[in-house]
Amino acid sequence: MINVLFFGPVAERTGTRQTSLDFRAGICWQDVRDILRARYPDAFEIVSIVAVNGQRVTETTHTPLADGAEVVFMSAFSGG
Amino acid sequence: MSGSVRLQQDDFSLEAEIAALRTSSKRIGGIVSFLGCARDFSENREVSELSFEAYPSMALDELSALREQAIARFGLIDARLIHRLGTVHAGDNIVLIVVGAEHRAPAFDACRWLIDELKARAPIWKKEITPQGESWVTPHP
Repeated sequence: MINVLFFGPVAERTGTRQTSLDFRAGICWQDVRDILRARYPDAFEIVSIVAVNGQRVTETTHTPLADGAEVVFMSAFSGG
Repeated sequence: MSGSVRLQQDDFSLEAEIAALRTSSKRIGGIVSFLGCARDFSENREVSELSFEAYPSMALDELSALREQAIARFGLIDARLIHRLGTVHAGDNIVLIVVGAEHRAPAFDACRWLIDELKARAPIWKKEITPQGESWVTPHP
């Protein structure tokens, strides 16, 4: 299972704070994004930061996810 | 109060945090703080409340990393970072950074660096509650 979390503005647009996808060998965070972007297009319009297991990843990060990985799609931060 | 890096719903005390910092060493010759407060006005609108939400585990990791990096980069003796979550009313405290160093220059520099980096790196989001409705804040550069 791949666990996906949404916070703040992104969660408001998805209407949910979490979802999950079935794990398959070789799946990368970009695959998760593509699946969820089709499901929540409005939310993904503002996604600019992605974290896997609490670590930021970039478009060039193609490390396969482990079963049980936590992927978070986030908008620009506005704390402070 | 406990811990040098915290996310919390409750308010914090500047005096208590400075006192805690001072217990870490008597080599401290200068303490600089940044206290972020909730304005009652933003973008030409009245703001009655702010609401903060975080990705808690990553935000705490980022704040801890920032503290360690600031201590190493500026030669600080100690630093404390506290950010509130949940509802914050206009005029209330939001975020506190307190740093202690042997001399004032690195303390000033580190405090500025820490708040700028916190805003860029900590996964925290702010919503403004106004009489006209609610909206998430788009960060300023």
